[in-house]
Amino acid sequence: MSKTNHSARLTTNMQRARKLLLLIAPLMGVTVFLVSWEVYVRVSGIRPLILPRPSVVIGHIVEHPAFYWKHGSFTLLEASAGFFLAFFVAVFVATLMVHSEFMQRATMPVVVIVQSMPVVVLLPLFLLWFGFSPWPKIITAMLFTWVPFVTNALTGLRSVDTSTHELFKSVNATRWEIYWRLRIPNSLPYLFSAGRVCVGLALMGAVVAEFFLSKDGLGHTAYVAYSRLLVEQLWGSVIVLAFMGVTIVLLLNAVEQKMLYWHPSQHERNHPAK
Amino acid sequence: MAESSLVLTDVSKSFQHRDGFIHALSKVSFNVRKAEFVSVIGPSGCGKSTLLRLINGLRTPDSGSIVVNGLTPDEARQQKKFAFVPQNPALLPWLTVQQNVSLLNNLNSRAGNPGMAFSDQRQLLKRIGLGSFLNAHPWELSGGLQQRVCIARAFALKAPVLLMDEPFSSLDEITRTDMGYLLLKLWEHSGSTVLFVTHSIPEAVALSDRVVVLTPRPGHVTEIIPVPLSRPRQVSMEDSTAYHQTLTEVRATIAAECSS
Ligand SMILES: Nc1ncnc2c1ncn2[C@@H]1O[C@H](COP(=O)(O)OP(=O)(O)OP(=O)(O)O)[C@@H](O)[C@H]1O
Ligand SMILES: [Mg+2]
Repeated sequence: MSKTNHSARLTTNMQRARKLLLLIAPLMGVTVFLVSWEVYVRVSGIRPLILPRPSVVIGHIVEHPAFYWKHGSFTLLEASAGFFLAFFVAVFVATLMVHSEFMQRATMPVVVIVQSMPVVVLLPLFLLWFGFSPWPKIITAMLFTWVPFVTNALTGLRSVDTSTHELFKSVNATRWEIYWRLRIPNSLPYLFSAGRVCVGLALMGAVVAEFFLSKDGLGHTAYVAYSRLLVEQLWGSVIVLAFMGVTIVLLLNAVEQKMLYWHPSQHERNHPAK
Repeated sequence: MAESSLVLTDVSKSFQHRDGFIHALSKVSFNVRKAEFVSVIGPSGCGKSTLLRLINGLRTPDSGSIVVNGLTPDEARQQKKFAFVPQNPALLPWLTVQQNVSLLNNLNSRAGNPGMAFSDQRQLLKRIGLGSFLNAHPWELSGGLQQRVCIARAFALKAPVLLMDEPFSSLDEITRTDMGYLLLKLWEHSGSTVLFVTHSIPEAVALSDRVVVLTPRPGHVTEIIPVPLSRPRQVSMEDSTAYHQTLTEVRATIAAECSS
């Protein structure tokens, strides 16, 4: 084997190793976090009631998979429903806003109202309106996520390049063509950014609602654990929730990488250490 | 005399600003014949871009009239009679080179101008050295290649009128010269009329049949200077006396305007 061939293979191997490293980096980050937590609790001798060891908490999750699975899937479904409802309503409203000055002026105050609404205070009302159904939770998740979606959708739909817009108009492109072939692709990076923020917000919304008015979901299990001092279950719920959030964000990132291959944010040269 | 493609008569345009009016164009009149290449040159802010927008009907003049192949600007735009080349490439990053070139053909398909067939577009791209970049994305190309895609996109539409707004101003001198002659090569076979806005005097003289000189704001036609060079143009003509004389003439006209 020639020398150049050998070194070429060496570099491809190194590239492969680098890719693998990048792939497992999130896992390593989490591991370091959990290990430091574990070490801290052991060394400081802090009482489990104040802060249990993560190994104990994870042990609890592993021992009760069905329990966490059942409640986790409730929360996940409610959060997802709220997330997607918020997304579609937001894109729809932003579409109206970008096409009509009147709509934009009429809607802006509503956005601010929703944003500053103390949703938590209204939860008992939701219970009155919808009873013990998934709806109060879905709506809470939706209210938590709607504003970031609307504002980002609006910015994205609106910030099309002036020259490109003029180019479309120079052949008398229809509004629909400008919307569908220019504004929508242009808004995707903004929507993905909003989406990343909203994953956490949607889960939080669902959990907050479950905490007060539900018989299932991780918010409910946390509430029960809280009132009965079941430390392991309390932290177990929190960790499962965090795990769901991280997984979804990573999934979203993967989808973004596929869909936004054309956007500077996805180009390797804009990533650190390159 | 050949038929006119563009007829501008006493076209004026002003814009309302916070502190009063800006008079952008004042009684601009000139004709462009069919298949003629005319440059418009003038200092920054004299209303060159505005002039193009008036011609394709994206703005309406305050007074005066514009006729495009016997149509109003709006009618002409609705029938996709214009291929517009903006100052920056305006390529869509999510489309490939090939898709970008087809873009204008696919928009507003009811206008009755389908443009160049797909296979001809490929042929065109190959001819101008983009054969191996058909499926590349714009951000993978150098600035010069991007500008080639823009030119291809304009010609792919097969529109009778090309409106170009300083298309080469962001390119370096060498690429710029290349692009100019590439443009001429494509134009000579197309039979389209070109209105070419530039602020480069050598470029205007090297490429056009006539040079329209605008005054500083409000833009007004001082002079229309014919370029006595034969077609097809070659770089070597930039060494001829005729070229240099015209260059001097255009320069003197602009200098006289700016000092007065
Ligand atoms: N939509 C608009 N609203 C208000 N003023 C405008 C508008 N468009 C152009 N103007 C003004 O009209 C004048 C001419 O603008 P224009 O863009 O046509 O100049 P230009 O000759 O193309 O300049 P440049 O060479 O820098 O591109 C400028 O003073 C500009 O501020
Ligand atoms: Mg301009």
